[in-house]
This record gives sequence, C-alpha cells and structure tokens, in this order.
Amino acid sequence: MNDAPTIRRRGLVAAGLSLPFIRSAAAQQASGEPYVMGTLFPMSGPNAEYGEAFTRGAQLALSHIAADNMLRRPIRLQAEDSQALPQPSVVGMNKLVNVDRAVWVLVSWTASSKAVAPIGDRAKVIMVNGGAVGPDLSGLSPYFWNVIALAHLEVPVLVDYLTRHRNVKRMALVYVDDPLGDAILGQLRTELPKAGGQLVGSFSVPRAAQQFGPVAARVRQTRPDAVYIASFGAQQSQIIKGLRDNGVTQILCSYSAFSIDSVRQLPEAVGALYTTQKLDFESGDPITRRFAADFRARYNQTPVAYHANYYNAAYLFGLLARQLEQANEEVNGESLRQAMLRTRTFDLVGGRGTFDDQGNLMTQMQVNEIKGAGRTEIVQG
Amino acid sequence: MIAYLSNLATQVAIFGILAATLNFILGYAGIFSIAHAVFFGLGAYAGAQIALLLVPDVVLACIVAAAIAGGLSLCLALPALRVRGEYFVAASLGLQMVAVTLFSELKPLTGGIGGLVGIPLPTLFGVPVGVLPVALAALALILLATALLARGSFGRTLTAIRDAESAAEALGKNVAAAKTLAVGFACAGAGVAGALYALHTSFVNVESFTMDYSVLMMAMVIIGGTGTLWGPLIGTVLLLSLPAALAFLPFLPATEVGAVQQIIIGLAMTLLMIFRPAGLVGDLSRGQTTA
Repeated sequence: MNDAPTIRRRGLVAAGLSLPFIRSAAAQQASGEPYVMGTLFPMSGPNAEYGEAFTRGAQLALSHIAADNMLRRPIRLQAEDSQALPQPSVVGMNKLVNVDRAVWVLVSWTASSKAVAPIGDRAKVIMVNGGAVGPDLSGLSPYFWNVIALAHLEVPVLVDYLTRHRNVKRMALVYVDDPLGDAILGQLRTELPKAGGQLVGSFSVPRAAQQFGPVAARVRQTRPDAVYIASFGAQQSQIIKGLRDNGVTQILCSYSAFSIDSVRQLPEAVGALYTTQKLDFESGDPITRRFAADFRARYNQTPVAYHANYYNAAYLFGLLARQLEQANEEVNGESLRQAMLRTRTFDLVGGRGTFDDQGNLMTQMQVNEIKGAGRTEIVQG
Repeated sequence: MIAYLSNLATQVAIFGILAATLNFILGYAGIFSIAHAVFFGLGAYAGAQIALLLVPDVVLACIVAAAIAGGLSLCLALPALRVRGEYFVAASLGLQMVAVTLFSELKPLTGGIGGLVGIPLPTLFGVPVGVLPVALAALALILLATALLARGSFGRTLTAIRDAESAAEALGKNVAAAKTLAVGFACAGAGVAGALYALHTSFVNVESFTMDYSVLMMAMVIIGGTGTLWGPLIGTVLLLSLPAALAFLPFLPATEVGAVQQIIIGLAMTLLMIFRPAGLVGDLSRGQTTA
C-alpha cells in the first residue's frame, strides 16, 4: 500500500518524460506533416567523403521534388551517421524507423546495409542503396532496392572495352578479399577468356593495408597490360599511388568506386578507366541535363555517379509517392513497393532504368577515363 | 520510440556485459587486454552458427558461445602469465590482429568480410523471445558473479596480483591459476555478449570485432571507473547513449551531423577524464597527478 503513491509518481514522471516523443511520433503520422526520408551514410571517419557526396545527391532531388510540386506533403531529410559500421547503423536505422517514422531510407556500404536490412524488412520500410556494389546485396529483402549496378554487372563491360579498344590481353587484379573482391575475381576469371584475354595474377590485400610496394613488385612480375583495382574508399588512392610509385605504368581500371573526388583528382590516376551506369551530362535527356546543371550551380562541382545514384534514389520516392497520392493511397513501405512493382521502369538521371524482381535497377553502362584535376571523359557510352 | 529505446537498451546490456567482463580482468587483475573484441567475435560467430545450423535458441547459443570463447581464452591467458603491463598490451594487440585476419579468412565459419546474414530471431525453448530480457538477465548474472568473486578470496587474490604480482606469488597465491580463471570468466562473458549481439542484429561480420571495438570497451571501463562494479555499466550507458542523444539535435546540418557528433563526444570524454580521472564512479584519489 505504501508503495502505491511512489509508483504513481514514478509513472507520472515517466509518462511526462515520454510525452514529447509520443506526441512527436503521432504528429508525424498526421496529414500534412512531412514525409521523412532517412539517410544512413558514413558522415564521420575515413569514409565521410562518401557520405557527403551521397547526401548532396539526395538533397538536390528533394529540392527538385519540392520545386516541381510533385507531392502534397513536404519531405524532411533525416540524417544518421552510420560510420560505415554495423553497430552504429543498427542504432541509426532503429531511430529512423521507430522514432522518425521514416518510410524511405537511403543506405550505403555493404556491411551497414546488411545490418539494417532485417530492421527495414520487419518494419516494411523501403531501403535504397546507391553506393555499395557487393553482389550479395541483391535480394536482401523485398524492401531493399539497389539503384547502382552491382559489381558483377560492371566487369563484363570493362573487359569488353579493354580487349576491343585498348588491346588488353593480360590483366592483373589487386583486390580486397571480401564479397565484392571475390565477385570481381570470379567475373574476371570467366569474362577475360571469353574476350581472348587472361587473368595473369590476382593479389588480395587486407582491407586496412596502406603499403603496397610489395604488391606492386608482384604485379610487375606478371607483366600485365592492365591492372584492375577492386577496393574502395581511401585505400583506392593508396593502391594507385603504390602501384605508380613502384613502376607500374600500365592501365589502371576499376568499377564505380573510382568516381570519388579523391581518386579523380589524384595525378597518378590520370588515364585510369572505370565503369559506371550511363551518365552523359551533355546528352539530350532533360532529367540528366537538369540534374547536372543544378548540381554544378548548387555545389560548384561536377557531379559523379554517386551523386546521380542518390539523386535517383531520392527522386524515385517522389515518383512513387506521387502515384500513390494521386490514387489516394497511403504512402508507406508496402504501398511504395507495390507501386514500384506496378511501374518497374522509370526515367531517371542517366536515362531509363528498369527494376528486376529483386529490386535491382538495370541501366546501361559506360566506361569513363580520368583526365586529371577531377575531369573525366566518357570513352564508351 | 519504445522500440528504439528497447534496441538501445539491448545494446547497452550487451556492451555492458562486455565492459563488466573486461573490467574483471582489467580493473581487478590488472590485465590490460585490448583483444576483448576477439572473444566477443568468437561468441557472435558461435551463436550465429548455432542459430543458422541448429536452432536459434538463445540459451543454447549463449552456452556454446561461452564455452568456445572461454575455451579459447587460453590464447589470452598464456601471454598474460608471462608478460604484463605494456608488454601484455603488445601481446594482446597481436592476438587481436591475428583474430581479425582469421575472422576475415575463415569464410566457411565466419562468412569472411561479407559476414553471416539471415540469422533467425531468437527463441527460448521454442518460444520467440526478445533479446533484451535475456541480455538484461545475463548482465545481472555477470554483475552478481563479479560482485561475489571480487568480495571473496579470489577477488582479493586478483587485486593482490594487480597491485604486486611478485608479492602475491611470494605469499603463496597461485598466480597462474587465478589469472587463467579470471581471463576464462571474462572471455566466456564476452562470448555470451557476442551470441546475444548476433541474435539481436541478425547479421555479424568482422567489422564489429576490430580493435576499434576493443578500444571502445576499454573506454567504457575507464570512463565509468576501473575496478568498480557499476562503473563499466555507467561508462557503457554514457558512451552508447551520448551519440544516440546527439542524433536528436535538430540543428545539425545533414552533411555535418557525424563530424559534429564526434567532436562533441571527443570533447566530453576529454573533459571527463580531466575532471574525473578515475572514472565516473571511481575513487577520486586515483588517477590524478600528484605533482
């Protein structure tokens, strides 16, 4: 009996403390409140460069959605720092799903994506990846989509170009021994012989490695015509420098991870080739031209594939939510997924793309060459 | 909000187990291990494989994880018997590096860098159960065991070893046995935390068991107060809830959110160590310079 008042007091205090959050969650569901789009990118640490690039693409898409009055309700971008690690990603995703009530979350990084996929799957929240290219990201969940070509789709395009146009017959591979590296190794093993080439050496490097002198020496011994680098983040620049500093003068090539500024502005990377989904800013496609012009105006920077991917990832929400609003349907993860499955094909930056059954956006690919000082040129579109 | 707080509480409970068990060897026995994440990882992979291959029973996963992590604790105990202080730090660093490499390369067991996905949700004797109550129960048991062990002759032996190992040996204490048992207990506890983590996140890969996480666990212990029962838990709550709380700051721009959070956390930790060098619940007379 004596405890009852204490319990009541504690209950009242607890209820009072939780009131702001309860109101917040309820209020967000009310009509007219913004849709919440979450971002779960590395915003600190060695991979923060990616997070900033991804966010810029998404921010531009949201400004275009607002400018075009595509939706009846505004969109609020809620950023969480994943640090590119599973544990902070899980915390961030839980906040986005359970506190912010996000219906659409932009994700990146393979491990981060895998860690949050079960949370989004259970909550039926759409997760869109535009940065990670590990082939094991395909089919993670019906609510997990990829708007970037996964690595196994990029390699055949580059092999075809190198063997046809650069007379490459012998290729060496420097790769991080992860699902991405394994997939690229497998692709090179099968695609090179088909094109009349051969994989003359494959050298795995630890993810945290920073010195590549010994690897460069072994690469030189294989006398390759080209060296494929399957890494990501800051390590890519270190591999490029390591190879060049140690006398590897042959063509360097990679997948879309070479799109970042730190690689494109590296003097040693001049002449390097990399694949991305088709992205010709000078083409006649109005969506692509508008994206490129507005991106340059807003950020004083030439956009790259990652900016376009996350622009597309965010813009896709506008396209799908507009469909649902026009049909007076509720906008949630399930209805957005159904709308995607009904439509499948979308006009986005880079051209028309079509989703397959596993939520992977299939687009045309292109080969880019780094020209120095951040400039690139499309050598095969 | 409740689901979010529940997830945060689960993580606090899991990392609380890690901090409490690390504190047992660091705070009571003076074994400065920076390889605690290794045993966290061993438990996580063991628990994940049990759930994937047999049954996602949380108790079974925890028992197997504790057995494997505790059994392999000899890898840490052996160098602890021969070296101490900064030399043991170097030895445990080596163990951490070897373990991370093995976690990355033993793909049939660990999934390599890609990790293990699709770990089923936990059950208890066939009934679906949340990880939070089990983690809280495990944390309570470990704190109770720590308190009982620390108060008894075993705890006094460990403290004696920490303060003067040669003197403890001269007084007839079995230093080797005490260190081995302490390390075994701590590593088994870390294994339990690993199994709970795997079942909670449904995904594990090597990136959760790197030296960064070992250092994070050590920071939890030191900030809370080494050699205290509640200090590591308080340190855990602080280090996990501070970033979570900062995520609610509405004025942070989207592209700067991570950097600002990291600066605030770093400053808070530095100031805390300046004004509370022995940790939040540590002895105030410890840790400060006397000059």
